[in-house]
Amino acid sequence: MINVREVTKRFGIGASAVTALETVSLDVPEGSFFTLLGPSGCGKTTLLRLIAGFELPSEGEIALDGQEIGHLPPHKRPVNTVFQNYALFPHMTVARNIGFGLEMLNRPKAEIASAIDDMLNLVQMGEFAARRVDQLSGGQQQRVALARALAPRPKVLLLDEPLSALDLKLRKGMQSELKRLQSETGITFVFVTHDQGEALAMSDQIAVMSAGRVQQVGTPQQIYTAPQSRFVADFIGDTNIVAADLLGYDGAQARISFFGGEPLLANAASDGLPPGVVYVALRPETLTVCAASNAAAVLRGTVLDSSYFGAGSQMRVRLQNGTEIQVQVAEPSPAGSEIGLIPDTSMLHVLAD
Amino acid sequence: MGQGMQQTSPTAQNLQQAVAARSRTVRRVRLFLLLPALVIIGVFGLAPLSIALVYSLLEPGTYGGVEWVFSTDAYVQFLFERDIFDDTLSFNSAYLQIFGRSFGLALCAMIGNLILGFPVAYFIAARPPEQRNLWLFAITLPFWTNLLIRTYSMLLIVRDEGFLNLALMQLGLISAPIEMLYTDGAVLAGLVYSYLPFMILPIYASLEKFDFSLLEAGHDLYASRVQVFRHIVIPISRPGIVAGCALVLIPALGAYITPELLGGGKKLMIGNLIAMQFGSGRNWPFGSAAALILMSVVLIALLVSLRAGAEKEKAHG
Repeated sequence: MINVREVTKRFGIGASAVTALETVSLDVPEGSFFTLLGPSGCGKTTLLRLIAGFELPSEGEIALDGQEIGHLPPHKRPVNTVFQNYALFPHMTVARNIGFGLEMLNRPKAEIASAIDDMLNLVQMGEFAARRVDQLSGGQQQRVALARALAPRPKVLLLDEPLSALDLKLRKGMQSELKRLQSETGITFVFVTHDQGEALAMSDQIAVMSAGRVQQVGTPQQIYTAPQSRFVADFIGDTNIVAADLLGYDGAQARISFFGGEPLLANAASDGLPPGVVYVALRPETLTVCAASNAAAVLRGTVLDSSYFGAGSQMRVRLQNGTEIQVQVAEPSPAGSEIGLIPDTSMLHVLAD
Repeated sequence: MGQGMQQTSPTAQNLQQAVAARSRTVRRVRLFLLLPALVIIGVFGLAPLSIALVYSLLEPGTYGGVEWVFSTDAYVQFLFERDIFDDTLSFNSAYLQIFGRSFGLALCAMIGNLILGFPVAYFIAARPPEQRNLWLFAITLPFWTNLLIRTYSMLLIVRDEGFLNLALMQLGLISAPIEMLYTDGAVLAGLVYSYLPFMILPIYASLEKFDFSLLEAGHDLYASRVQVFRHIVIPISRPGIVAGCALVLIPALGAYITPELLGGGKKLMIGNLIAMQFGSGRNWPFGSAAALILMSVVLIALLVSLRAGAEKEKAHG
């Protein structure tokens, strides 16, 4: 269990200081696959480096299993890292790379040797023990980097965009491989990525970050289906964000109306928004197409074009106020035709900002 | 099938001839292109060495030069003294001592340069790439001045009325000048100063592509700063350290100007000994022999250290 408590990280001093993290608080449950997701520069790597100990927090605390570790040097933390560029030691064999952590911990030779064997088997690199690391392919180096970080049996494994250097096919394979390693070892994984598909596919929990802050923490389902802010909705998947009028609240649900139409009830991230213009997230796959003349149609628009992606087609539709949205359908309507759209109200979310 | 072969055989023969002619031309062109390098090695490397070897096996002329009489006296003289009256040989360690001091000074200069040069090279390699050339430029800047002039300026600093003594006296740390000039210390300081860039540049070259995230990886895997340095930085920069040590040790062994000026000709090094034989000593064969002995010792030492290095590499896998 990692508890990040109101951590702020500033780089530089005085007026030129840049704030990379702004009072971030997070709880990473023990044994979970936890992902820090966000665009580059959002502070996710800084947070990872703070947990690893490569940077020290300007303010706040980081605790591991109840013990404050935020100010310990990296070699005193039971935390290991898989680096983005792998950072394998080029002057050592695969086996010595994997054994390095245990060697530094002064473990007996026999224990180190058996740990190396176990790790080589775990990442299916058995026959490469005596190879030099520069003789390995990217995917193989990736496995060695994983084995090296897992060999000392850390309490937490940190992964800094480890798949970004791999090609698409290898990346898919490594995703399930990482998932398997995580459940086999039971070690807490903290995974940093900017790839929302990767995050949704692998994580038990995701923290979406932007501009040095945590925007939302939740399971992949929660993050995808119930985004709380415009940023999260926009960042995860191809979400349509459409303006609507907030008329008031009905219990926990918000009463809204699109373009002055019939009021309908939608989920709301917060019930404290004043009446007026709000933004609503509409997933492309939660919209049903009907005839433009259908009285049940909530939105009306013109089909601009459509693209086929295998499991269906994605239509670009221009709404009456000019907003372009994506609609996922089995049979696209011809370009230029007027259509009506009925949203699944259980999947409608009024965003907090 | 056989018939088919016979039909094509004239063409095949032509092809073979053409290929043979072509490879002859290629060989001739290659030889021609190698010629400048071969000439340079021959004229400036092998020929002087051969002359030195021949001279070392002759007798000295009375006024310098050589008498064309075969003799191994030059080599005998290195270790033994021949009695003027009865020609008996007695062991004489005077020249060995000069060799010993030269090796001692050169080794100290090498170690001093390693201690001073490594941090400098590491520092430059850790700078952002656009700054590194400026630092390298600063390191090589003194080389624009002649070694003789640099050594003279060193002399001005360490002599009794020199800058160093004056500064120390002004500060009240000493009351009378310390005699620094014409000591082994002065020669050593001169050697360290003269050859420092030869240590810095090869170590920098080996660290230039150093991936500094390896340091983080080491720390992350429970290595302390000292352990990271020992297990990661040193092994990766080893080729540069070895090259730098060789580049300092070898010229420092044969140094001439530095011991001549800063050692005052009293604290001889091999270079001065050899030079003296061709000058006032008028013993060209002995000078040649001393030069060849020095060269052989250095060669053997290099081969041994190279082999040791290779074995260490193998042992580590």
